[in-house]
Amino acid sequence: MVSAQKGQVRVITGNATGAYGAMLCRPDVIAAYPITPQSEIAEQLAQFKADGVINSEFVEVEGENSAMNVVLAASIAGGRVFTATSSYGLVFMYDALQETSGFRAPVVMVNANRETPGIHAVSSGQQDMISARDAGWVQIITENDQEILDQIIMAYMLAEDNDILLPVMVNYDGFYLSYLAEAVEIYQIEDVDKFLAPLKKQSPRQKLEPGVAQGCGTHGMEMGYVEARYKHTQAMERVKNKVDEIDKKFGDYFGRYYGGQIEEYRTDDADIIIIASGSATGTARTVIDTKREQGIKVGLIKLRLFRPFPAERLIQALKGKKAIGVIDRSICFGWKYGPICMELKVLTQELGSVPILSYIDGLANLDITIPHIGRVVDEVNEAAKGKPYQDVTWIPMEE
Amino acid sequence: MVETTKKRNKIFNYFVQDEQFAGGVAWCAGCPMELIARLTPKVLGKNMIFVGTPGCAAPVLHGQNVGAWHRMAYMASVMTGVPSKATGLSRYYNRIGKDATVVCFTGDGCATDVGFQPLSGAAERQEKFIYLAYDNEGYMNTGNQRSSATPIGAATTTTPVGKIGKGKSNAQKNMPMIMLMHKPRYMATATVSHLEDFIKKLQKAKEKSKEGFAYLHLFSPCPVGWRIDSSKVIEVCREAVRTNYFPLWEAENGKPRITVNVANPKPISEFTKLMRKYSHLKEDGLAELQKQVDERYALLKTLADAGI
Repeated sequence: MVSAQKGQVRVITGNATGAYGAMLCRPDVIAAYPITPQSEIAEQLAQFKADGVINSEFVEVEGENSAMNVVLAASIAGGRVFTATSSYGLVFMYDALQETSGFRAPVVMVNANRETPGIHAVSSGQQDMISARDAGWVQIITENDQEILDQIIMAYMLAEDNDILLPVMVNYDGFYLSYLAEAVEIYQIEDVDKFLAPLKKQSPRQKLEPGVAQGCGTHGMEMGYVEARYKHTQAMERVKNKVDEIDKKFGDYFGRYYGGQIEEYRTDDADIIIIASGSATGTARTVIDTKREQGIKVGLIKLRLFRPFPAERLIQALKGKKAIGVIDRSICFGWKYGPICMELKVLTQELGSVPILSYIDGLANLDITIPHIGRVVDEVNEAAKGKPYQDVTWIPMEE
Repeated sequence: MVETTKKRNKIFNYFVQDEQFAGGVAWCAGCPMELIARLTPKVLGKNMIFVGTPGCAAPVLHGQNVGAWHRMAYMASVMTGVPSKATGLSRYYNRIGKDATVVCFTGDGCATDVGFQPLSGAAERQEKFIYLAYDNEGYMNTGNQRSSATPIGAATTTTPVGKIGKGKSNAQKNMPMIMLMHKPRYMATATVSHLEDFIKKLQKAKEKSKEGFAYLHLFSPCPVGWRIDSSKVIEVCREAVRTNYFPLWEAENGKPRITVNVANPKPISEFTKLMRKYSHLKEDGLAELQKQVDERYALLKTLADAGI
């Protein structure tokens, strides 16, 4: 495949980017319900429809649960589908989320990360996607507007691959990226067609058709249930390498590479590693550069794939490092560590007795600042020298 | 030679395809829902797809693992997602020009309670499919618990009769009337004691669902939960019509029309005496039920007579 033509560069918000990303992939059916901070996606897609830019079926549903059910069924019928939500909306569609992955429907959904109900917070945080981590979806976290667009295209490539057939949730920090206008290259739609064309060359996926004796969502009794769950987890395992492959293909064609499951920044000769995700990784890179100038051999891992958890890539990147600091933008009820840190701790055996420091920061729109990350680097650096350390730190509580 | 052929019931003339279910299925003896489920595809024809949910219909409709007791296209759903799934299916089939009659098949619990929001949403959007609610006035599959379709005074396992308890204390949600207010392209009530009436409504629902939303509310007494002799179920349906407990009517674009007129409705006791569901009701309880039946019928009649 030769490379794509130059796209049109426009300064648009993360939400608008989400809508453009969907538009470029020509979904058959779109269902969306407004919720802060995602509403603009629903509006923009409706405007595309009104302007004749897209010819998708657009269903103005009466709630998020219905949004997921509409796209789930249209996907099982054979269509390409899109929806978008956030926070309470994601929580409200939880039963349908599980059905979607259980039915192996290749749904693509954008989720603008926001805190979840209980303490009513109209603010950014990854708690929504973290709360859905066991829903059987692929979960990917993006850092900036361009990556949102690119990841949506890659998400279809992943979801609709016959080896995968799983729903994919493309996440970005609500408020930070939803309303942040950045220059985004919007590719020529014909180029996106070309990039996604291999999906059409696969043997057609099984679909539900009227008049054909075929059931979807039958009672899984005993071994029927076990087998379906086993195959689902096997597909999840296959996602990891597939994400890397697609990233390579995407980069070769459109010119942008994201590292696949994780992006490594100055990790090769690093003694200590900071792990971050989402919009905060931009800030983290700046801090890494500064600390490097001060002589601290620190590297950064941007976690892109959260479900399935990129264990193998992380082990490879972290092996031999002297200490690790993980910044989580969410919390884990029942464990004191942040969720990404908790997941990383499963790899303790592979990583040896290296100190892993958990940091909770950036909840409810609080910024993950340069001084915050600077502090993390310093503390992890001390821990690497064998000094005692605090294993969990809620940064805002200590300010 | 003398011709001895038995005259075939005229309802067979409405059938456009064969039986879609296996002979012996795991539904209760005498259940009208089984008749409804078996009859519906025979009338609606080949390109039908059922969307069902946990409930009385599920054990047979869902199938288990790769086995099934019917040969239709079928999608199972949680109770909150049935009309939305039908929306997704019908929108996509319409888009690609595939002929399909999408039929939601749920009980009253799903339709009136937990799955009401998406039903109301789909009706408002005039989605092009049929929603068929079989109304057995409660959660019968889980063991006869009350739903908002359970009438006042009825004994269920969550509105039991006891020293203090007198059965359900609130009135039944008037679901057909609520759906009428959505102005669906077509809606109707029907039951299995009036088969031709039911079949014609099914046909009309199919035709009109090509233009917009179609809703069918089907009376389906539960022999187990209501404590009815299995052989008396059709009679119970007939008495429900004759007492105006369940009037038969239809509406196109929100204009109701009574399809089976009952000249001299019987007192409600003629209906309640056929089951143990109401056997605890004394005179005042029966009077209360009668009052609700009369009020509901009067409302319907007023709207139908006004022709609006």
